[in-house]
Amino acid sequence: MASTGLVVSAIVTLVAGGARPSTTAAARPGSIRGHVDLQRTPVPAARRPGVSDLGAPAPRDLPDLLRSVVYLESAPRGAFETSETGRVVMDQHNETFVPHVLAIMTGTSVDFPNSDPFYHNVFSLSKAGRFDLGRYAAGRSKSVRFDKPGIVRVFCDIHSHMNAYILVFSHPFFALTNADGRYGIDRVPAGTYNVIAWNEGTASEPQSVMVPDGGIAELDFQLR
Amino acid sequence: MRRPGTGARWCCGVVMLAWCAWSDARVAHAQSAASWANLSPEPISLADGHVTIGGDVSATYGSVDPGFFNYTDYEHSALRMIRFNVTAAVKANDHLAVLGDLQTENFDNLRPYALYLRIRPWAARDFDIQAGRIPPTFGAFARRSYVADNPLIGYPLAYQYLSTLRADALPATADELLQKKSFGWLVRYPVGSQTLDHGVPVVTALRWDTGVQVHAGMFKARPLGVTASVTTGTLSNPLVRDDNGGKQVAGRLEWRPTPGLNLGVSGSHGEFVSTAAANAALPAPRPDTLAGFAQTAWGADVEYSRDYFLVRSEVIASRWRIPFANEPNRHDPLDSLSAFVEGRYKIRPGFYVAMRVDHLGFGSITGQTQSGPWDAPVSRLEAGAGYSLFRNLLLKGAYQYDSRDGGRLKPVEHLVATQVVFWF
Repeated sequence: MASTGLVVSAIVTLVAGGARPSTTAAARPGSIRGHVDLQRTPVPAARRPGVSDLGAPAPRDLPDLLRSVVYLESAPRGAFETSETGRVVMDQHNETFVPHVLAIMTGTSVDFPNSDPFYHNVFSLSKAGRFDLGRYAAGRSKSVRFDKPGIVRVFCDIHSHMNAYILVFSHPFFALTNADGRYGIDRVPAGTYNVIAWNEGTASEPQSVMVPDGGIAELDFQLR
Repeated sequence: MRRPGTGARWCCGVVMLAWCAWSDARVAHAQSAASWANLSPEPISLADGHVTIGGDVSATYGSVDPGFFNYTDYEHSALRMIRFNVTAAVKANDHLAVLGDLQTENFDNLRPYALYLRIRPWAARDFDIQAGRIPPTFGAFARRSYVADNPLIGYPLAYQYLSTLRADALPATADELLQKKSFGWLVRYPVGSQTLDHGVPVVTALRWDTGVQVHAGMFKARPLGVTASVTTGTLSNPLVRDDNGGKQVAGRLEWRPTPGLNLGVSGSHGEFVSTAAANAALPAPRPDTLAGFAQTAWGADVEYSRDYFLVRSEVIASRWRIPFANEPNRHDPLDSLSAFVEGRYKIRPGFYVAMRVDHLGFGSITGQTQSGPWDAPVSRLEAGAGYSLFRNLLLKGAYQYDSRDGGRLKPVEHLVATQVVFWF
């Protein structure tokens, strides 16, 4: 398994250096589809032992840790000209970030509404997105725009067990798996690419795949 | 006043702290990311989540404190301390859990700070019974005295400053008590135990009492918590083994009328003076007389937070009654009143500033030759800042101004301290 940080750093390096991806120009884009087989059971972060609490804590929701992100290690030329920005939501519900993982493009804003009847304080100290939204109550929302590619670990300053990931890409060639582990990356120009699967901080080794002109390439992953 | 070798132990602690952070970072690196920013802040979870283990390590180094404003006993200053804390929760099922906390300060004995059984008779109801060495019912600060929960380095005076009172040793006269002003860090009296030892704070944040506690929570929209406990010791002198046959009864009401606002009131009453000391002071005291040598305290606390600021305040009024061997008809209470306000403001992600203004006053008594507060009133202003290198690695720095009105020790001090805190 490769380090996720290294892999995402590689993306950043490519963007900064303008290196050429191993692609061939083609008129009709294709797709990459496949399945990510998680061969381990991710465990949600436990609460810190509340020894100083006067009673047991209220039950909380558990995050969905089975969603993986699959992405091209290097994107085809011209991909970075895409300016497909928008807004997505990462809710805070019953002491859980929902969804637990977001994959977005640079320039996207993420809204963090608080749906709990108590305070949360969303923050991150990650290099790709250092922010602190302060404490705010139910019904309120604050947002952050992510302009740097990389992995952003999101936490709550009040509830130490709350955490989430936001993967920020410079290109649009990434996808989240569904509940069955299946994914699809569409509109990929024909060519040969290295593809990586990521789950909860663990990344696969890059796998090479050739996307045919207007066709579909199949690529499965196993993550330990 | 420090024991030989304390400096070496402190250095050893810093090395261990650095090792903890470094080794954790290595694990995080190997498992997940190339950056220290992913240094794992999660507690260790075992046996399908039935066992969780957390902890914190802190190293504090600050000015010499010749006025003994920050001492928690004769040898330990809160400004020069290595503290290791390991907490664990073993959850058998939805009804039963065992929680514990082992702690050591400056590598002295490893002490069970907490060790208790938590019983939840009805899984769906917010009602718990806790028995053993339990969290304090009284007040707010004592339950957040873990280093990572304290925005500054020093403690509030009511929870740390050592008064001249002892439960096991007594002054023979009011004059003698008045003569001991400011010597709470090491005091000796002629009645009861003859050893030199430290006095007691108003409320001890650094030791927990032993007994049974019942807590109920209600009203989800505006939560109200009700807690009551019966314990062996008192706020000033928590105990594992009873020394006077009396019990302390404490209660607390906590209400959150709106998110961000917490209001609490607490009260407690318990026999303070040990039987041995009382017997030494009074010839053949009756049990109801012994029961009168008690500590009674009332407290109110408030916390308000919003956006980037957090403000807390706590007021505690305490009254002790002790026997005076040479003045058996003296029944003056020994009063104290403390109040502090602390605030924290986050300036930018991972960086905050904080301040606490604090005062601890003592009621007046009249002796044969002198009168005045029975211990020297103390004031403290502490201002500092904290910077999170990573989520669970915090650096703090603080300046502290202490002043004492009376006594023979240094009346004013300007102190500085730095602290590194690592938690998981």
